[in-house]
Amino acid sequence: MAPMPGASVAESRETRHHGGVSIFDRRPHLRWAVPAAAGALILAGTVAGTVGASADAGLPPKTAEALLVELQAPQATALSGTIVATADLGLPELPTGMGSSAELSSLVSGSHTLRVWSDGPERTRLAMIGTAQESDVVRNGRDVWMWSSTNDTADHYVLPERDTSAVSPLPADLPRTPQEAAALVLASLDGTTGVSTSGVDQVAGRPVYELILTPKQTDTLVARVVMAMDAETRIPLRVQVFSTAMSDPAYEVGFTSVDFSTPEARLFEFTPPPGATVTEHAAPSKEAMAAGSGTKPGAGASPTVVGSGWSQVVIAAMPVDEAAGLAGATVGGNGGEMASSGGLDAAALLESLPRTSGTWGSGRVLNGTLFSAILTDDGRIAIGAVTPQTLGAALAAQ
Amino acid sequence: MSATDLSASPSAPARSRTVVASLRLLRSELRIIAGRRRNQAGILVLASVPVLIAVALKFSQPREGRGPDFISSATSNGIFVSLTALSIEIALFLPLAVAALAGDTIAGEANIGTLRYLLTVPVDRTRLLAVKFVSLVLGACFGVLVVAVTGVIVGGALFGLGPTTLLSGSQIGLADALARLALAVLYLSAGLAGLAAIGLFISTLTEQPIGAMIAITVVSTAMWILDGIPQLEWLQPWLLVHYWTAFSDAFRDPIFYEQMRQGLLVALGYVVVFVSLAWARFTQKDITS
Repeated sequence: MAPMPGASVAESRETRHHGGVSIFDRRPHLRWAVPAAAGALILAGTVAGTVGASADAGLPPKTAEALLVELQAPQATALSGTIVATADLGLPELPTGMGSSAELSSLVSGSHTLRVWSDGPERTRLAMIGTAQESDVVRNGRDVWMWSSTNDTADHYVLPERDTSAVSPLPADLPRTPQEAAALVLASLDGTTGVSTSGVDQVAGRPVYELILTPKQTDTLVARVVMAMDAETRIPLRVQVFSTAMSDPAYEVGFTSVDFSTPEARLFEFTPPPGATVTEHAAPSKEAMAAGSGTKPGAGASPTVVGSGWSQVVIAAMPVDEAAGLAGATVGGNGGEMASSGGLDAAALLESLPRTSGTWGSGRVLNGTLFSAILTDDGRIAIGAVTPQTLGAALAAQ
Repeated sequence: MSATDLSASPSAPARSRTVVASLRLLRSELRIIAGRRRNQAGILVLASVPVLIAVALKFSQPREGRGPDFISSATSNGIFVSLTALSIEIALFLPLAVAALAGDTIAGEANIGTLRYLLTVPVDRTRLLAVKFVSLVLGACFGVLVVAVTGVIVGGALFGLGPTTLLSGSQIGLADALARLALAVLYLSAGLAGLAAIGLFISTLTEQPIGAMIAITVVSTAMWILDGIPQLEWLQPWLLVHYWTAFSDAFRDPIFYEQMRQGLLVALGYVVVFVSLAWARFTQKDITS
């Protein structure tokens, strides 16, 4: 075969052995339009996907009051689905390695994916998805199993008899499912909240009614809470908490997919795999569980509540070990000795907080998007969904 | 949009002739890829990682817990040697292998002066490009398969192939575990197909295969770095590598498809955009070498 000097565009057109001169042959540069169009199409498709198709599925309008009533009487008990929880609480980056339960209580920052299965309140399974790791909380009647693939551990709890609450023995710092979040919000409804509705939307491909809770107080960091309730089953599918500091939700937990058929029964039966470390725990007392679900740090030592509703401030004496950590952070430099007890993490965290002072004294301040906290040098902690200024005023008034 | 749509042949016999010719072209392309010494050496490197992992684990002290990856589960089951090797190699070695193959496709042929001979045969450029891309994807798939199979063989020999404990804590038998491993292999191959598309495009831009190879490796490594920066969370769902680690979702109970489906969509997006970019570039390029 004789070598050819080179194959130009023109030649390649000639070598085309099936006819049909397309527009691309006459105008070769138009070929660049193909990848451009493909890219634009993908972008447009994604945007359309996130915005969601027009949600108005012929749903009758409902008043906020009617929605509030319906929300408390869900029509489905069985479901399975995937939940994504996203938090932007404005907290400093937490040092890693804060203990073994870190995976399940690490919802305070970033985005997390959970899978949930439920067949009534007594048969539930929650799986937190990590990269090549998973931790599960499986409840079947009075048995609660907590499994961690990272630690290869299974913890078995037996709940007290006749306790039908869905409280897990694990203290969670943030609600992990829309149901938990909605229950938390509904439980705290009082005269300080305005309730309204913004009509319909779509969550996880299902039409929902939106219920908006707006604090009537002006000194809270919470701008509004938006709850999306499935139009058919009345189950909350998404809860968003908006801060006065930003336009995106500071905290959002919602389904990305949901299915209301009964999950397989075997999902609620957990058998620890061979080789796993199994720990049997005694039934936790009601008080312990109540303390566990009262999620505010330092809530153990008879806290004082200043104010009411959304702008209430909780003031408590700090637990001794945390106070020691704070002292260490204030003195500084001796963190190495505390490394074994995890004190280093707390100390490093506190060290990163800016100092502040006022008529109440001085201390360190945590200025979050939804709540702030002041840790005073004399061992008090004030926390609330308010600005640090309001916290300072509450501390001064104490 | 497939390349064949754009050069649709008018009659059925002509079409079947085209298909046969394409398959012949693909076969010769695969033979060339498999015959290259550097590719054979690359396969040995890919296969050495699961061997190293298994041997190292065999002669080291067991540690507490399982750790964030599959590595400490490997001592309980040979399947996990495969998974550990895959999760390690997907970060660098497998993308590097795709980069090496992609560098050869167009830039390599142009560099040694064989590309113009290829085009003197009555071969449509679009069809040549399609064949090159398919051979790249098959090469990537073979690389992943080599890692997985070596892992199962070596891991099975050293640690046995008993019941596999899933990430969710339940156990499955060997057949189920192998089926899930096959799913993971296919999923990772699809992800690498996205990178192969980027590689094909870069390869049409230059006549230096080394340059193309480095550029492709830079692209994949840069995406891994961006994927690790928490402040760029908004960008990460767009990164090709972001969902690659979701191959481990095949080892949950029940299998978690949501992230893998997302990963496939992203890979498909990259394939469509970059293969069409490569097509736009290659079909207009003046080939002088």
